Amino acid sequence: MATSEPVSEIEKASEPEEPQPEIIPTAPPVVAGSEQYIKHPLQNKWALWYFKNDKSKSWTENLRLIAKFDTVEDFWALYNHIQQPSKLGFGCDYCLFKDGVKPMWEDDKNKLGGRWLMTLGKQQRQVDLDRYWMETLLCLIGESFDEASDDVCGAVVNVRPKGDKIAIWTGNCQNKEAIVTIGQQYRERLSVPIKLQLGYQSHDDTSSKSGSTTKNMYSV
Amino acid sequence: MSSSTSRQLSESRAIPTRTVLINDTTQLPHDYCTTPGGTLFSTTPGGTRIIYDRKFLLDRRNSPIAQTPPAHLPIIPGVTSLSVLTENGRNEANHLIKPYNSHGKTATGEDAQFEMDI
Repeated sequence: MATSEPVSEIEKASEPEEPQPEIIPTAPPVVAGSEQYIKHPLQNKWALWYFKNDKSKSWTENLRLIAKFDTVEDFWALYNHIQQPSKLGFGCDYCLFKDGVKPMWEDDKNKLGGRWLMTLGKQQRQVDLDRYWMETLLCLIGESFDEASDDVCGAVVNVRPKGDKIAIWTGNCQNKEAIVTIGQQYRERLSVPIKLQLGYQSHDDTSSKSGSTTKNMYSV
Repeated sequence: MSSSTSRQLSESRAIPTRTVLINDTTQLPHDYCTTPGGTLFSTTPGGTRIIYDRKFLLDRRNSPIAQTPPAHLPIIPGVTSLSVLTENGRNEANHLIKPYNSHGKTATGEDAQFEMDI
């Protein structure tokens, strides 16, 4: 086989003789390189909101946008640098909603909808709350509910003295098939104990309830 | 054909893959879901939905990108403030937060982080 020396001579000799094909200097759209710096796009752009219960301000004044993201890595960059729900003050919420949907019943995307509600006992705040909330976020940004993911509007965690709540909000409380799919898969992801029932309530019923309980439209 | 009756198993080899760096979603090929050499992420049939499973998402938590707080993260005491970051103990990049507040001060001082929401 040829050694390296003759090869380099041939290459040198051929340079001035062979006209090179015209090289159009285009930057490659993708660059081979370190995989760790890849950002993985999400199906949806999401907005994380923070609500603080300050009685001297209106509800909407207490609602504050923290950040929006649309890649897996940007989600973690945010999640890694904010407080866990269990460390928030009483009366505070986090809300993660699809960009363009406000985390309130009145939003057009929410007003016909409802929520899968999980109520946690006080003793679960230190054990389950942060874990459940992170799983909920991963379900949403990873689009874990197949086609039913389109029905998802967002998720809310309420930190309350009586017991915390986590809910997945969907857009139309009549879409039984999608809602039940979401409920079943959500329940599975969270490994909710069998004895505990998850209930779905319409926002209409929740906002007009007279007592402390709202009837469940669906349950899993 | 060979008269041998014994069959020879072909050697197994890994499917060749290559790694590409995507800086922006616009750089994704339009047919990314059928890219030879491995999918970047899974999609539903027809490639209409970008789905990530739990393990994949959790693995990305330690991405170098995820160790820096988002730019323009508002300073909210007890939620995004520096004390929170220290408490979470996630990284040493706390000073990289780009703070802003109504007084135009930098929030590198001990008390600056509490000047929001006045």
